[in-house]
Amino acid sequence: MRIRAERDDLADVLSRAARAVGARSALPILSGLLIEVVGKTLRVTGTDLEVTIRTELEVEVLEEGRTVIPARLATEAVRKLPSGAVVLQAGEGEVEITGGGPRFRFRELSVADYPKVAEPDLEGAVTVDGAAFAAALGQVSVAASTDDARPILTGVFFESEAGALRLVATDSYRLAVRNVPSVTAELAGLVPVRALKELGRTIGADELKVAMGTREATFASARGTLTTRLIEGTFPNYRQLIPDSYPNRLTVSRDSLLESIDRASLVAEDHIPVRMHLQDGGMELSVTRQDVGGETEHVEGVYVGDEMTIAFNSRYLGDGVTVLDGDEVVLEVVDPLKPGVLRGSGEDFLYLLMPVRL
Amino acid sequence: MVGVEYLAMTDEEQAFEHGGKCRWQAHRGRYRECVVGSFAECVLHFDMDAFFVEVERRRDPSLRGVPVIVGGIGPRGVVASASYEARRRGVRSAMPTAHARRQAPSARFIPPDHSAYRDASREVFEVIETFTPLVEQLSVDEAFLDISGLRLHYDSVEDVGSSLRSAIKEATGLPASVGIATSKLIAKLASEEAKPDGMFIVRAGTETAFLHPKDVGELWHVGQATRARLEELGIVTIGDLASFPLDTLRRRLGPTMGAMLSDLAAAHDPRPVVSGGGAKSISVEQTYETDIDDPAVLERELLKHADLLSRRLRSAGMAGTTVTLKVRLADFDTLTRSETGSATSSAHDLFEAGKRLLERSGVGDRPIRLLGVGMTGLEPIDAPKQLDIGGPGWSEVDDAVAKVRDRFGDGSVGPARLVDPPKCQDS
Repeated sequence: MRIRAERDDLADVLSRAARAVGARSALPILSGLLIEVVGKTLRVTGTDLEVTIRTELEVEVLEEGRTVIPARLATEAVRKLPSGAVVLQAGEGEVEITGGGPRFRFRELSVADYPKVAEPDLEGAVTVDGAAFAAALGQVSVAASTDDARPILTGVFFESEAGALRLVATDSYRLAVRNVPSVTAELAGLVPVRALKELGRTIGADELKVAMGTREATFASARGTLTTRLIEGTFPNYRQLIPDSYPNRLTVSRDSLLESIDRASLVAEDHIPVRMHLQDGGMELSVTRQDVGGETEHVEGVYVGDEMTIAFNSRYLGDGVTVLDGDEVVLEVVDPLKPGVLRGSGEDFLYLLMPVRL
Repeated sequence: MVGVEYLAMTDEEQAFEHGGKCRWQAHRGRYRECVVGSFAECVLHFDMDAFFVEVERRRDPSLRGVPVIVGGIGPRGVVASASYEARRRGVRSAMPTAHARRQAPSARFIPPDHSAYRDASREVFEVIETFTPLVEQLSVDEAFLDISGLRLHYDSVEDVGSSLRSAIKEATGLPASVGIATSKLIAKLASEEAKPDGMFIVRAGTETAFLHPKDVGELWHVGQATRARLEELGIVTIGDLASFPLDTLRRRLGPTMGAMLSDLAAAHDPRPVVSGGGAKSISVEQTYETDIDDPAVLERELLKHADLLSRRLRSAGMAGTTVTLKVRLADFDTLTRSETGSATSSAHDLFEAGKRLLERSGVGDRPIRLLGVGMTGLEPIDAPKQLDIGGPGWSEVDDAVAKVRDRFGDGSVGPARLVDPPKCQDS
């Protein structure tokens, strides 16, 4: 196998596929990237057996063939070469990377050991606007859990609501629900948030194809494909958690609320709740931390409802306000022990969060 | 079965370091030298009087002099604290609020404000710490103090007790009762005697005279069930228990319980005051006479431990974040696994965590000789708690179970799997 390509192009396809390669692989072969050269195309595959990323590049093919190269070393080596043409070749157990003078040699990994990774299955794929889809995913992903002890909560649930796509995530303390009315398709599955977070960085593009199988989800763009295993299990029945009505409603400026939360978070750190005393003319936001001190401030706004004090985890609250769109934020609450709901200007997104009982 | 242990690890050194602002600190060197000449009665127990009520009265003086009941207002609410005026009308803690309303219709009912009580508790303990760092806190409003070192500053234990009471009153405006005696057992009963707003000292040598007329139910470890069994033996007062033949007692109550009660009845209670900010961990473990090699039996034992641990956490007023499982195999190989989640004291949560940890430990069906479950990362059960979207779930069940047990004894209700199968006649 032997190809020639521009340094920047080659570094790009290698590094994007390498994002699927785990930092510590159980199998040594998984620390490698599979390189396949056919026709005019260089195809790069990286996988940790959960997530597989494939990228492609048109190159000057000097000799077709296949090899497995060490992912991190080879990617970094290409990056560190002087700009211009780079030659990548493999044979006789050795990978050689040269360009503009310097020459790297690495031990080749065995092609025969590389796991069989299924070809991306794009059957029944729908095409979505890449930027809008990424924005929707960004809004719900904050609510997903990163705790592997409860795998079901580490995914974003894709389902269909009134014929259109709906994305849902929860870590059991907050819940984010995003309708994507522009995508009218029946897609259903629980997709690991870890894979979705890689989507933008690896194959993000203006146009994206999304296909949901029974065991895997596949995303494809002009820049490559990302396939991920779906999480098995039943997503919690979240619908019943969303209260039907909210007697109390606070409307404040999103920016000033964000700034207030940011100030309070300085004192609050992760586990200290932020107290909101909701009253006419807005709210008193305060935080007190034993042995440290506290912070208090008035956040101007419009409050309609019973005067009350409700407390939230500062990070969960901040996450929710950050992902809302629009200049104003609406917080609706029932009582200090029931979930509060944050909404922005759009009708399509809702962020529900459980209070902290004082 | 060989003994179930209650492990409460504390950090005395920390308490020593912590004593920065106390009177004791200024005399630290002398304290260390002074071993001789301490008081004969060196254990002080203080207990705030109708604590929640008094905190409410402090901020609303119109509550003074009238019956006041702090408790859940809802249909299933119970009385958390009743003023002495209300108690005279028969209102007791843990009584359903609805019942209390019938007993004392004129009383003022106030929903509990735990954060205010915690703040007040902190004020009280700040005063206590100026006396001695040797404080063993039992709950928000009571603690044991080892006052032996205060010999240098006070002429008598009366001085210590009345100074403490007036210092608390002065700093917080709240009344406290104080009992002073030679042991924790007697000191605690003495503070009962002192209530309300008083002090009671049981002199060295007079412990049994004080103790023996009291009902056996007043002794630690004597719950409703044990009390009923003692009554069957004709034992009503602690004096009856003290004169009861030890052999018979051991046969009837088991060797450990029998010996312990007999000791307590003789006013023998050597437990020291253990300071250091309360327990750092609470755990339950058991070594089995014959190794367990049946996974079903093991799971049942795990449930039993979870249930007991939950009970202990609740009685200590604590919830914890880290559950640790300890398994000792027949070959003495010991495995521990732990898992951290949001704070809980629920038996159900402990059992589920225990099962996951057991799975992770990879014990399989290898025979085991010891099983233990422990909780660390302890925090007060009423500390601010991040609520879960799934709702309260099992913690409500546990609350209900705890209430039933408080009233009808520990054996009254529990997991079905732990009920012994009915005995057949021919077995």
